[in-house]
Amino acid sequence: MTGDVERYLAVGAVLFILGALGFLTRRNLIMMMLSAEMMLHGVSLTLVTFGRLHNTIEGQAFTIFALTVAACEAGLALALILALFQQSQSLDVDLWSGLREPDLPAPTSGEPAVLPAPTEQEFPRLAPAGRAPQISRTSEGAGGMGSLAAGASPASNQPLGSR
Amino acid sequence: MNWIAEHILLVTALVLMAAGIFVLFPKRVLLPRTLGWLLTLAGVVALAVTLIPEESPLTENILFYLFSGTAILCGVLMITSHYPVYGALWFALVTLSVCGLFLLQSAPFLAAATIVVYAGAIIVTFLFVIMLAQQSGRSVYDQRSRQPLLATIGAFVMLGALLATIHEAKLGSIEPVAVATSKISAEQAEVPAINPLSQPRPDQPLGSMHGLGRSLFGDYLFAVELAGTLLLIASIGAILLSPRKGQVT
Repeated sequence: MTGDVERYLAVGAVLFILGALGFLTRRNLIMMMLSAEMMLHGVSLTLVTFGRLHNTIEGQAFTIFALTVAACEAGLALALILALFQQSQSLDVDLWSGLREPDLPAPTSGEPAVLPAPTEQEFPRLAPAGRAPQISRTSEGAGGMGSLAAGASPASNQPLGSR
Repeated sequence: MNWIAEHILLVTALVLMAAGIFVLFPKRVLLPRTLGWLLTLAGVVALAVTLIPEESPLTENILFYLFSGTAILCGVLMITSHYPVYGALWFALVTLSVCGLFLLQSAPFLAAATIVVYAGAIIVTFLFVIMLAQQSGRSVYDQRSRQPLLATIGAFVMLGALLATIHEAKLGSIEPVAVATSKISAEQAEVPAINPLSQPRPDQPLGSMHGLGRSLFGDYLFAVELAGTLLLIASIGAILLSPRKGQVT
Protein backbone atom coordinates (compact mmCIF):
# COMPACT_ATOMS: atom_id res chain seq x y z
CA MET A 1 0.00 0.00 0.00
CA THR A 2 1.94 2.97 -1.19
CA GLY A 3 1.45 6.44 -2.47
CA ASP A 4 1.40 7.76 -5.98
CA VAL A 5 4.91 9.20 -6.01
CA GLU A 6 6.59 6.10 -4.73
CA ARG A 7 5.68 3.85 -7.60
CA TYR A 8 7.08 6.24 -10.20
CA LEU A 9 10.28 6.52 -8.19
CA ALA A 10 10.37 2.73 -7.96
CA VAL A 11 10.11 2.37 -11.74
CA GLY A 12 12.90 4.93 -12.13
CA ALA A 13 15.08 2.98 -9.71
CA VAL A 14 14.40 -0.30 -11.50
CA LEU A 15 15.31 1.22 -14.88
CA PHE A 16 18.51 2.69 -13.44
CA ILE A 17 19.55 -0.61 -11.87
CA LEU A 18 18.80 -2.57 -15.04
CA GLY A 19 20.94 -0.15 -17.01
CA ALA A 20 23.77 -0.43 -14.51
CA LEU A 21 23.55 -4.21 -14.63
CA GLY A 22 23.75 -4.20 -18.40
CA PHE A 23 26.66 -1.78 -18.37
CA LEU A 24 28.61 -3.95 -15.94
CA THR A 25 27.84 -7.26 -17.58
CA ARG A 26 27.72 -6.91 -21.33
CA ARG A 27 30.92 -7.00 -23.35
CA ASN A 28 29.67 -5.36 -26.52
CA LEU A 29 30.52 -1.67 -26.68
CA ILE A 30 27.18 -0.80 -28.27
CA MET A 31 25.21 -2.68 -25.63
CA MET A 32 27.16 -0.85 -22.93
CA MET A 33 26.21 2.50 -24.43
CA LEU A 34 22.56 1.48 -24.72
CA SER A 35 22.56 0.46 -21.05
CA ALA A 36 23.98 3.85 -20.09
CA GLU A 37 21.13 5.51 -21.99
CA MET A 38 18.66 3.40 -20.03
CA MET A 39 20.22 4.61 -16.78
CA LEU A 40 19.58 8.16 -18.03
CA HIS A 41 15.92 7.23 -18.59
CA GLY A 42 15.60 6.15 -14.98
CA VAL A 43 17.13 9.40 -13.78
CA SER A 44 14.84 11.45 -16.04
CA LEU A 45 11.77 9.69 -14.67
CA THR A 46 12.91 10.40 -11.12
CA LEU A 47 13.53 14.07 -11.89
CA VAL A 48 10.11 14.53 -13.45
CA THR A 49 8.46 12.78 -10.51
CA PHE A 50 10.19 15.00 -7.96
CA GLY A 51 9.27 18.07 -10.00
CA ARG A 52 5.64 17.02 -9.88
CA LEU A 53 5.88 16.33 -6.16
CA HIS A 54 7.09 19.85 -5.45
CA ASN A 55 4.80 21.39 -8.08
CA THR A 56 7.59 23.05 -10.04
CA ILE A 57 8.80 22.88 -13.62
CA GLU A 58 12.46 22.62 -12.71
CA GLY A 59 12.39 18.83 -12.89
CA GLN A 60 11.26 18.96 -16.50
CA ALA A 61 13.79 21.67 -17.34
CA PHE A 62 16.59 19.54 -15.88
CA THR A 63 15.37 16.59 -17.90
CA ILE A 64 15.62 18.60 -21.08
CA PHE A 65 19.24 19.38 -20.25
CA ALA A 66 19.82 15.70 -19.54
CA LEU A 67 18.36 14.98 -22.97
CA THR A 68 20.86 17.39 -24.55
CA VAL A 69 23.79 15.80 -22.76
CA ALA A 70 22.53 12.34 -23.74
CA ALA A 71 22.49 13.34 -27.40
CA CYS A 72 26.06 14.69 -27.17
CA GLU A 73 27.18 11.58 -25.34
CA ALA A 74 25.63 9.25 -27.89
CA GLY A 75 27.26 11.06 -30.79
CA LEU A 76 30.71 11.13 -29.24
CA ALA A 77 30.47 7.54 -28.00
CA LEU A 78 29.43 6.23 -31.40
CA ALA A 79 32.30 8.06 -33.08
CA LEU A 80 34.69 6.52 -30.53
CA ILE A 81 33.17 3.06 -31.04
CA LEU A 82 33.66 3.36 -34.81
CA ALA A 83 37.26 4.46 -34.32
CA LEU A 84 37.94 1.51 -32.00
CA PHE A 85 36.25 -0.84 -34.43
CA GLN A 86 38.53 0.34 -37.23
CA GLN A 87 41.52 -0.56 -35.07
CA SER A 88 40.47 -4.02 -33.95
CA GLN A 89 37.63 -5.17 -36.26
CA SER A 90 35.68 -6.15 -33.15
CA LEU A 91 33.34 -4.54 -30.64
CA ASP A 92 34.65 -6.48 -27.65
CA VAL A 93 35.48 -4.16 -24.79
CA ASP A 94 37.94 -6.66 -23.30
CA LEU A 95 40.31 -5.96 -26.17
CA TRP A 96 40.97 -2.59 -24.60
CA SER A 97 41.60 -3.86 -21.08
CA GLY A 98 45.23 -2.89 -21.54
CA LEU A 99 44.13 0.66 -20.84
CA ARG A 100 43.37 -0.18 -17.20
CA GLU A 101 45.46 0.88 -14.23
CA PRO A 102 48.66 -1.16 -14.02
CA ASP A 103 47.94 -2.62 -10.58
CA LEU A 104 44.49 -3.95 -11.44
CA PRO A 105 43.95 -7.59 -12.43
CA ALA A 106 42.87 -8.51 -15.91
CA PRO A 107 39.11 -8.88 -16.47
CA THR A 108 37.86 -12.44 -16.23
CA SER A 109 35.11 -13.07 -18.75
CA GLY A 110 35.42 -16.52 -20.21
CA GLU A 111 37.68 -16.81 -23.17
CA PRO A 112 40.57 -14.39 -23.36
CA ALA A 113 40.04 -11.81 -26.03
CA VAL A 114 42.58 -11.79 -28.80
CA LEU A 115 43.46 -8.60 -30.54
CA PRO A 116 43.85 -9.33 -34.23
CA ALA A 117 47.16 -8.59 -35.87
CA PRO A 118 47.27 -4.90 -36.57
CA THR A 119 47.07 -3.99 -40.19
CA GLU A 120 49.38 -1.27 -41.32
CA GLN A 121 48.41 2.00 -39.76
CA GLU A 122 47.12 4.54 -42.17
CA PHE A 123 48.35 7.92 -41.17
CA PRO A 124 46.92 11.09 -42.55
CA ARG A 125 49.05 12.52 -45.28
CA LEU A 126 49.21 15.94 -46.79
CA ALA A 127 47.81 16.38 -50.22
CA PRO A 128 50.30 17.71 -52.81
CA ALA A 129 49.50 21.38 -53.08
CA GLY A 130 51.44 23.41 -55.60
CA ARG A 131 55.17 23.21 -55.96
CA ALA A 132 57.96 23.26 -53.44
CA PRO A 133 58.78 26.86 -52.60
CA GLN A 134 62.16 28.26 -53.61
CA ILE A 135 62.75 31.52 -51.83
CA SER A 136 65.21 34.00 -53.18
CA ARG A 137 65.32 37.41 -51.61
CA THR A 138 67.95 38.99 -53.81
CA SER A 139 66.22 39.40 -57.17
CA GLU A 140 62.69 40.69 -57.54
CA GLY A 141 62.58 41.30 -61.30
CA ALA A 142 62.18 39.12 -64.35
CA GLY A 143 65.26 37.07 -63.52
CA GLY A 144 63.82 36.24 -60.13
CA MET A 145 60.57 35.29 -61.73
CA GLY A 146 62.42 33.04 -64.09
CA SER A 147 64.24 31.22 -61.31
CA LEU A 148 61.04 30.85 -59.34
CA ALA A 149 59.11 29.49 -62.26
CA ALA A 150 61.61 26.69 -62.91
CA GLY A 151 59.87 23.36 -62.76
CA ALA A 152 56.42 24.76 -62.05
CA SER A 153 53.38 24.56 -64.22
CA PRO A 154 52.15 27.80 -65.76
CA ALA A 155 48.81 27.56 -63.98
CA SER A 156 50.36 27.52 -60.53
CA ASN A 157 52.68 30.33 -61.62
CA GLN A 158 49.81 32.62 -62.38
CA PRO A 159 49.02 34.08 -58.93
CA LEU A 160 52.70 34.68 -58.24
CA GLY A 161 53.13 36.55 -61.49
CA SER A 162 50.20 38.78 -60.76
CA ARG A 163 51.85 39.74 -57.51
CA MET B 1 15.58 -10.39 9.68
CA ASN B 2 12.78 -8.31 11.09
CA TRP B 3 12.80 -6.03 8.10
CA ILE B 4 12.81 -8.96 5.69
CA ALA B 5 9.85 -10.52 7.49
CA GLU B 6 7.94 -7.26 7.17
CA HIS B 7 8.73 -6.80 3.48
CA ILE B 8 8.62 -10.42 2.42
CA LEU B 9 6.80 -9.66 -0.83
CA LEU B 10 9.34 -7.06 -1.94
CA VAL B 11 12.25 -9.38 -1.15
CA THR B 12 10.55 -12.22 -3.03
CA ALA B 13 10.01 -9.96 -6.04
CA LEU B 14 13.64 -8.89 -6.09
CA VAL B 15 14.93 -12.45 -5.72
CA LEU B 16 12.64 -13.70 -8.50
CA MET B 17 13.69 -10.91 -10.86
CA ALA B 18 17.36 -11.45 -10.10
CA ALA B 19 17.09 -15.18 -10.70
CA GLY B 20 15.23 -14.64 -13.97
CA ILE B 21 17.75 -12.12 -15.24
CA PHE B 22 20.63 -14.38 -14.27
CA VAL B 23 19.06 -17.26 -16.20
CA LEU B 24 18.48 -15.01 -19.20
CA PHE B 25 22.01 -13.61 -19.40
CA PRO B 26 24.07 -15.05 -22.24
CA LYS B 27 26.47 -17.56 -20.75
CA ARG B 28 28.56 -20.48 -21.84
CA VAL B 29 26.01 -22.97 -20.53
CA LEU B 30 22.65 -21.69 -21.67
CA LEU B 31 19.81 -22.29 -19.22
CA PRO B 32 16.28 -22.56 -20.63
CA ARG B 33 15.11 -19.09 -21.59
CA THR B 34 11.48 -19.92 -20.83
CA LEU B 35 12.41 -20.42 -17.19
CA GLY B 36 14.09 -17.03 -17.14
CA TRP B 37 11.08 -15.31 -18.71
CA LEU B 38 8.70 -16.94 -16.21
CA LEU B 39 10.87 -15.97 -13.23
CA THR B 40 11.26 -12.38 -14.44
CA LEU B 41 7.54 -12.06 -15.14
CA ALA B 42 6.69 -13.41 -11.67
CA GLY B 43 9.12 -10.97 -10.11
CA VAL B 44 7.67 -7.99 -11.98
CA VAL B 45 4.13 -8.99 -11.02
CA ALA B 46 5.14 -9.32 -7.37
CA LEU B 47 6.85 -5.93 -7.50
CA ALA B 48 3.68 -4.44 -9.01
CA VAL B 49 1.61 -5.91 -6.17
CA THR B 50 3.81 -4.19 -3.61
CA LEU B 51 3.28 -0.89 -5.42
CA ILE B 52 -0.54 -0.89 -5.54
CA PRO B 53 -1.59 2.57 -4.36
CA GLU B 54 -4.19 3.14 -1.73
CA GLU B 55 -6.54 5.14 -3.86
CA SER B 56 -5.99 6.17 -7.41
CA PRO B 57 -8.18 6.52 -10.48
CA LEU B 58 -8.60 3.26 -12.31
CA THR B 59 -7.55 4.65 -15.70
CA GLU B 60 -4.29 5.98 -14.37
CA ASN B 61 -3.63 2.69 -12.64
CA ILE B 62 -4.13 0.72 -15.82
CA LEU B 63 -1.97 3.09 -17.87
CA PHE B 64 0.74 3.15 -15.23
CA TYR B 65 0.97 -0.62 -15.00
CA LEU B 66 0.90 -0.95 -18.78
CA PHE B 67 3.72 1.53 -19.35
CA SER B 68 5.91 0.61 -16.40
CA GLY B 69 5.53 -3.12 -17.00
CA THR B 70 6.45 -2.67 -20.64
CA ALA B 71 9.43 -0.52 -19.69
CA ILE B 72 10.81 -2.98 -17.14
CA LEU B 73 10.24 -6.11 -19.20
CA CYS B 74 11.73 -4.55 -22.33
CA GLY B 75 14.65 -3.32 -20.26
CA VAL B 76 15.30 -6.87 -19.05
CA LEU B 77 15.06 -8.17 -22.60
CA MET B 78 17.42 -5.43 -23.79
CA ILE B 79 20.24 -6.18 -21.38
CA THR B 80 19.94 -9.92 -21.97
CA SER B 81 19.59 -9.88 -25.75
CA HIS B 82 22.07 -11.95 -27.70
CA TYR B 83 22.19 -9.56 -30.64
CA PRO B 84 22.82 -5.81 -30.43
CA VAL B 85 20.20 -5.09 -33.08
CA TYR B 86 17.50 -6.63 -30.92
CA GLY B 87 18.93 -4.73 -27.97
CA ALA B 88 18.52 -1.43 -29.82
CA LEU B 89 14.93 -2.28 -30.76
CA TRP B 90 14.02 -3.25 -27.19
CA PHE B 91 15.59 0.01 -26.08
CA ALA B 92 13.25 1.86 -28.46
CA LEU B 93 10.31 0.19 -26.69
CA VAL B 94 11.74 1.20 -23.30
CA THR B 95 11.93 4.78 -24.56
CA LEU B 96 8.33 4.75 -25.75
CA SER B 97 7.12 3.36 -22.41
CA VAL B 98 9.06 5.97 -20.47
CA CYS B 99 7.45 8.63 -22.67
CA GLY B 100 4.08 7.19 -21.69
CA LEU B 101 5.05 7.58 -18.04
CA PHE B 102 6.09 11.19 -18.78
CA LEU B 103 2.63 11.80 -20.22
CA LEU B 104 1.05 10.42 -17.05
CA GLN B 105 3.29 12.76 -15.06
CA SER B 106 1.82 15.77 -16.93
CA ALA B 107 4.93 16.38 -19.04
CA PRO B 108 3.63 16.21 -22.62
CA PHE B 109 6.35 18.36 -24.18
CA LEU B 110 9.03 16.29 -22.53
CA ALA B 111 7.45 13.09 -23.85
CA ALA B 112 7.40 14.46 -27.39
CA ALA B 113 10.98 15.73 -27.15
CA THR B 114 12.20 12.40 -25.79
CA ILE B 115 10.53 10.48 -28.59
CA VAL B 116 12.03 12.80 -31.19
CA VAL B 117 15.54 12.78 -29.72
CA TYR B 118 15.80 9.16 -28.65
CA ALA B 119 13.66 7.23 -31.07
CA GLY B 120 14.26 9.58 -33.95
CA ALA B 121 17.96 10.30 -33.60
CA ILE B 122 19.85 8.23 -31.07
CA ILE B 123 18.44 4.80 -31.86
CA VAL B 124 18.74 5.37 -35.59
CA THR B 125 22.39 6.33 -35.10
CA PHE B 126 22.93 3.23 -32.99
CA LEU B 127 21.41 1.08 -35.70
CA PHE B 128 23.66 2.71 -38.29
CA VAL B 129 26.73 1.96 -36.19
CA ILE B 130 25.58 -1.63 -35.62
CA MET B 131 25.17 -2.09 -39.35
CA LEU B 132 28.58 -0.54 -40.00
CA ALA B 133 30.45 -2.43 -37.33
CA GLN B 134 28.74 -5.73 -36.66
CA GLN B 135 29.83 -8.71 -38.63
CA SER B 136 27.22 -11.20 -39.71
CA GLY B 137 26.50 -14.11 -37.43
CA ARG B 138 27.01 -14.59 -33.73
CA SER B 139 30.07 -13.05 -32.20
CA VAL B 140 31.69 -14.57 -29.14
CA TYR B 141 31.58 -11.47 -27.01
CA ASP B 142 27.80 -11.20 -27.40
CA GLN B 143 27.30 -14.75 -26.18
CA ARG B 144 29.33 -14.32 -22.97
CA SER B 145 28.69 -11.97 -20.08
CA ARG B 146 31.22 -10.70 -17.62
CA GLN B 147 30.56 -12.06 -14.11
CA PRO B 148 26.76 -12.34 -14.50
CA LEU B 149 26.17 -13.85 -11.05
CA LEU B 150 28.11 -11.30 -9.03
CA ALA B 151 26.79 -8.37 -11.06
CA THR B 152 23.18 -9.51 -10.69
CA ILE B 153 23.47 -10.00 -6.94
CA GLY B 154 25.16 -6.65 -6.45
CA ALA B 155 22.69 -4.78 -8.63
CA PHE B 156 19.65 -6.24 -6.92
CA VAL B 157 21.01 -5.61 -3.43
CA MET B 158 21.39 -1.99 -4.51
CA LEU B 159 17.87 -2.00 -5.96
CA GLY B 160 16.50 -3.34 -2.69
CA ALA B 161 18.29 -0.57 -0.79
CA LEU B 162 16.90 2.06 -3.16
CA LEU B 163 13.34 0.76 -2.94
CA ALA B 164 13.53 0.51 0.86
CA THR B 165 14.82 4.08 1.07
CA ILE B 166 12.05 5.34 -1.18
CA HIS B 167 9.53 3.45 0.91
CA GLU B 168 10.86 4.78 4.18
CA ALA B 169 10.64 8.36 2.94
CA LYS B 170 6.82 8.07 2.92
CA LEU B 171 6.38 10.60 0.16
CA GLY B 172 2.72 9.79 -0.03
CA SER B 173 0.43 10.86 -2.78
CA ILE B 174 0.51 13.98 -4.86
CA GLU B 175 -1.93 16.53 -3.61
CA PRO B 176 -4.38 18.14 -5.95
CA VAL B 177 -2.78 20.96 -7.88
CA ALA B 178 -4.98 23.71 -6.49
CA VAL B 179 -4.09 22.88 -2.88
CA ALA B 180 -0.40 22.63 -3.66
CA THR B 181 -0.38 25.91 -5.53
CA SER B 182 -2.07 27.79 -2.74
CA LYS B 183 0.37 26.32 -0.24
CA ILE B 184 3.37 27.39 -2.29
CA SER B 185 2.05 30.88 -2.89
CA ALA B 186 1.53 31.21 0.85
CA GLU B 187 5.16 30.27 1.37
CA GLN B 188 6.19 32.72 -1.33
CA ALA B 189 4.69 35.55 0.69
CA GLU B 190 7.30 34.96 3.36
CA VAL B 191 10.32 33.64 1.50
CA PRO B 192 10.94 34.66 -2.10
CA ALA B 193 11.26 31.63 -4.34
CA ILE B 194 14.72 30.88 -5.69
CA ASN B 195 13.47 30.37 -9.24
CA PRO B 196 10.21 32.26 -9.42
CA LEU B 197 9.71 31.66 -13.13
CA SER B 198 9.81 27.89 -12.60
CA GLN B 199 6.65 27.86 -10.55
CA PRO B 200 3.60 27.13 -12.66
CA ARG B 201 0.93 29.76 -12.73
CA PRO B 202 -2.17 28.94 -10.75
CA ASP B 203 -4.33 28.92 -13.87
CA GLN B 204 -2.05 26.60 -15.84
CA PRO B 205 -1.34 22.88 -15.63
CA LEU B 206 2.12 21.82 -14.54
CA GLY B 207 3.68 20.74 -17.79
CA SER B 208 2.32 23.31 -20.21
CA MET B 209 4.69 24.52 -22.88
CA HIS B 210 4.22 28.10 -21.76
CA GLY B 211 5.42 27.32 -18.26
CA LEU B 212 8.30 25.18 -19.47
CA GLY B 213 9.42 27.88 -21.87
CA ARG B 214 9.28 30.50 -19.11
CA SER B 215 11.41 28.26 -16.91
CA LEU B 216 13.95 27.39 -19.62
CA PHE B 217 14.38 30.86 -21.10
CA GLY B 218 13.88 32.71 -17.85
CA ASP B 219 15.63 30.98 -14.99
CA TYR B 220 17.90 28.78 -17.04
CA LEU B 221 18.81 31.05 -19.95
CA PHE B 222 22.56 30.74 -19.49
CA ALA B 223 22.24 27.00 -19.07
CA VAL B 224 20.39 26.85 -22.39
CA GLU B 225 23.21 28.78 -24.05
CA LEU B 226 25.74 26.43 -22.47
CA ALA B 227 23.79 23.41 -23.68
CA GLY B 228 23.83 24.79 -27.21
CA THR B 229 27.59 25.31 -27.00
CA LEU B 230 27.97 21.79 -25.68
CA LEU B 231 26.04 20.42 -28.66
CA LEU B 232 28.27 22.36 -31.05
CA ILE B 233 31.46 21.13 -29.39
CA ALA B 234 30.19 17.57 -29.30
CA SER B 235 29.36 17.64 -33.00
CA ILE B 236 32.83 18.98 -33.81
CA GLY B 237 34.36 16.28 -31.63
CA ALA B 238 32.31 13.54 -33.27
CA ILE B 239 33.41 14.69 -36.71
CA LEU B 240 37.04 14.75 -35.58
CA LEU B 241 36.91 11.35 -33.89
CA SER B 242 35.08 9.41 -36.56
CA PRO B 243 37.50 7.46 -38.74
CA ARG B 244 37.80 8.10 -42.44
CA LYS B 245 39.27 5.75 -44.97
CA GLY B 246 41.95 7.20 -47.19
CA GLN B 247 42.19 10.23 -45.02
CA VAL B 248 43.37 13.38 -46.73
CA THR B 249 43.80 16.48 -44.67
